[in-house]
Amino acid sequence: MAGAIIENMSTKKLVIVGVTLLLFQAFAFMVGGLIAPSPTTAVHYMATKCVDTVKHRQDSKWFMPWGPNQCEKIRSFDEAMAKKIEANNIVFAVHIPLPNKEMSPWFQFMLVILQFDIAFKVYNQIVDGSVVTIDVGLAYRDDSISEWTEMAHSFEHRKLNCNFTAAKTHENEGRYYECDLLPFMEVGSVAHKYYLLNIRLPVNERKKVNVGIGEIKDIRLVSIHQNGGFTKVWFAMKTFLTPSILIIMIWYWRRITLMSRPPVLLEKVIFALGISMTFINIPVEWFSVGFNWTWMLLFGDIRQGIFYSMLLSFWIIFCGEHLMETQFFEAEVLGGGELKMCELCLPVIKIFPELGRPPTKKSQDQTERNRFSVYWKQVGPIVFGSFCLFIFDMCERGVQLTNPFYSIWASDVGTELAMAFIIVAGICACLYFLFLCFMVFQVFRNISGKRTSLPAMSKARRLHYEGLIFRFKFLMLVTLTCAAMTVIFFIISQVNEGHWHWGEHTVQVNSAFFTGIYGMWNLYVFAIMFLYAPSHKRYGDEQTSGQCITGDAGANSGEDIQLTTTITHVDGPTEIYKMTGKESQE
Amino acid sequence: MPTVSAVNLSAPLLLLLLWATHPSMATNWLSLARLPRSRPVSGSAPCARLRGLTPGQVGVCRARGEVMESVRKAAEMVVEECQHQFRNRRWNCSTTPRGINVFGRVMNQGTREAAFVHALSSAAVAVAVTRACTRGELERCGCDRKVRGVSPEGFQWSGCSDNLSYGVAFSQTFVDEPERAKGLSAGRPLMNLHNNEAGRKAILHNMQVECKCHGVSGSCELRTCWKVMPPFRRVGVVLKERFDGATEVRLTRIGSRTALLPRDPQVKPPAARDLLYLSASPDFCHLDPDNGIPGTAGRRCNGTSRLAPDGCELVCCGPGYRAGRAEVVQRCSCKFSWCCSVRCQQCKNTVTIHTCRV
Repeated sequence: MAGAIIENMSTKKLVIVGVTLLLFQAFAFMVGGLIAPSPTTAVHYMATKCVDTVKHRQDSKWFMPWGPNQCEKIRSFDEAMAKKIEANNIVFAVHIPLPNKEMSPWFQFMLVILQFDIAFKVYNQIVDGSVVTIDVGLAYRDDSISEWTEMAHSFEHRKLNCNFTAAKTHENEGRYYECDLLPFMEVGSVAHKYYLLNIRLPVNERKKVNVGIGEIKDIRLVSIHQNGGFTKVWFAMKTFLTPSILIIMIWYWRRITLMSRPPVLLEKVIFALGISMTFINIPVEWFSVGFNWTWMLLFGDIRQGIFYSMLLSFWIIFCGEHLMETQFFEAEVLGGGELKMCELCLPVIKIFPELGRPPTKKSQDQTERNRFSVYWKQVGPIVFGSFCLFIFDMCERGVQLTNPFYSIWASDVGTELAMAFIIVAGICACLYFLFLCFMVFQVFRNISGKRTSLPAMSKARRLHYEGLIFRFKFLMLVTLTCAAMTVIFFIISQVNEGHWHWGEHTVQVNSAFFTGIYGMWNLYVFAIMFLYAPSHKRYGDEQTSGQCITGDAGANSGEDIQLTTTITHVDGPTEIYKMTGKESQE
Repeated sequence: MPTVSAVNLSAPLLLLLLWATHPSMATNWLSLARLPRSRPVSGSAPCARLRGLTPGQVGVCRARGEVMESVRKAAEMVVEECQHQFRNRRWNCSTTPRGINVFGRVMNQGTREAAFVHALSSAAVAVAVTRACTRGELERCGCDRKVRGVSPEGFQWSGCSDNLSYGVAFSQTFVDEPERAKGLSAGRPLMNLHNNEAGRKAILHNMQVECKCHGVSGSCELRTCWKVMPPFRRVGVVLKERFDGATEVRLTRIGSRTALLPRDPQVKPPAARDLLYLSASPDFCHLDPDNGIPGTAGRRCNGTSRLAPDGCELVCCGPGYRAGRAEVVQRCSCKFSWCCSVRCQQCKNTVTIHTCRV
């Protein structure tokens, strides 16, 4: 790839482009910080204890905790003891939006977490390794008078991880255990207005079901969903970014096709990067507001995974293409020890030694790394790691499409499988970064090597190398800046509370992080496609292909230049020329 | 002429009577715990008939009737928690057999025990109202004060503020009301207000933060955190610690205002979460019906271990304790499940019971 736009751009223009992109970046941060609310909301619910007086469940009756058709309630389990109510007749009922509120499709997903309030009693302690069996049903309706429609029903098992911090004596009876959060439910789209959860804890002493789980006082649920305001801002951002990236992609591809040579690997990779960015940007989520598509969450994960893989592949291929190890030059062999050096070369296809023909034809050559298969060692970990994470996601979110209560972390086998996938993906990521660092080190070493011999080169070669070096360093700087900003903002958003108060304004730091980083990577891809598109400018008088610059081969001191000729453009014989020292041999 | 003098005499007498009963009026709402469950506590007429409420509290009852059920629950929580925290001390938070003054005349003086009861009661109201909100029993909760627009729109745009703010605000409105009505220049109302706030702060400073990661593939790209209210037992423990470290204060005049400053000038001024008391606690050993002290005679104590917190040496005073044997019927070999009816057998046991002499 020779002559990208960035090499031919004056510093002033580059600065203008940079400042414009920075302005857009600041705007992206401000949209998130000032307009959008916090990304998610957590709502607490405490389950109401309803009494199911019917002995056996003939039809599915749904118990409402409040409102006009309330169930018969007990306030505490002491009351149950007095009224002689069995554990199997207790139904915990939770109505998901609180009174006078409605759920909305703008919430995008609903994640529910379960917490048990278990009191310590000396004669009824939690047994080690105890498992709670939960019989749960989820129903929905869209107005406050119609019947409840069942959405899901399942028997779930969850391991209780509780510990008691005080001494286990009679003195401390009544204090609560400290239990871990249990993942309960994940629904990928919120299509209805009202949801009802009925939870039972059936006891069967013979089969050891729900035995040894301590004395449960209350069940608390926390439901997490994305704020409607954040969703609207996010959709607006995507809708704005999609045409921008599409336009630059179309422009880029036109420039490529206008060249007479076929596109090189790096250009194809940049285009693929643009495609994956467009794939993320396309606001398919708008449909989730009207349709009940539960797979949106999984689809979003897949799109993000594809983009990350593409980005990592782009970095390593970019480094590889700028290794500048063995240089092959398109050369027109003139007489008298002179060679005409050419830019814009095509990939080497075949090398044929032949003798006895006049060496007057043009030959093409290029760095030999222009094939994707050269990078199998580096791209392999990326592909394998992404595949592992994809399988993991399918196992978790994929199964949740059919059973919202499924959790891969609930069973021992599932936990080990999940950890295995994650660890393998982590190892692949480490391998990739090792390769990347090594390659960057190689490039810098070659750069410092080339720098010493730069002044002695002919103008064409020097400009060529300088262009390569500048291209590489510019991308390196920009990528490092973007990656550092991503990491810094990620850490800030994890550590602090989520919103800052300046006087009477509230800045939502978490939302700013999301919109800012999303905008940043879009601008990054935009900048790459714009700055690394092939330039139509030349260093002097030219044609678009086979632009040659006269140079004096003898002036290259101490250089080993290998010339390779190929068949591709040449109709005629091919020869290998090897020049050692200062002389060229014909 | 005699009538005039009678009138002249009865008016200050009436005022004296009013003033004498004033100090304990603040916690009279705890008498709601004694009402039978079936008796309603919301609605215009029932509110007026509740004897323990001050006129301002009756107004709150009328305006926000649905919350009063939680106030009743809070009163029960106060009695239960107070008796649990003080079970090993000479004054064990005993309740009077009847009447609107639940803990008796002990509450009339500004002692540490009164400080504890005030703090605990304001915390209990906040906790009970918050719990009722999370159960969906109340109509307006976290979305009552909204940043953007009216409730449904505000909830959709940015969610609601958490229910604890609503509970704390209601506690300030209801429990602080009698003190504010009396004016902020007397010692006891200031002390009560400070202790009420200390009770609410005990909840706010013991909230736990819990987080859940739920981003791409379950990573921490998206992390939601929330605050969990501590169980009421924990609030009781915290307030008991503050009780042990309470500061004795007196009313001092600073310029045109009055404030409560430590009696001992070397003690640093109390923080918002510390408990304050005006007068030293009496010796709870001897029976003193005028001041509502039951004494320690007849209290059960643990005679077996000297170092136990409920040991007889600590609980009883003076003449010590006596041992006696009694036959009790206890439940044994119970089959427990996670709740409700427990099948037990009855066992007869002979145990040694120690009781205090005086």
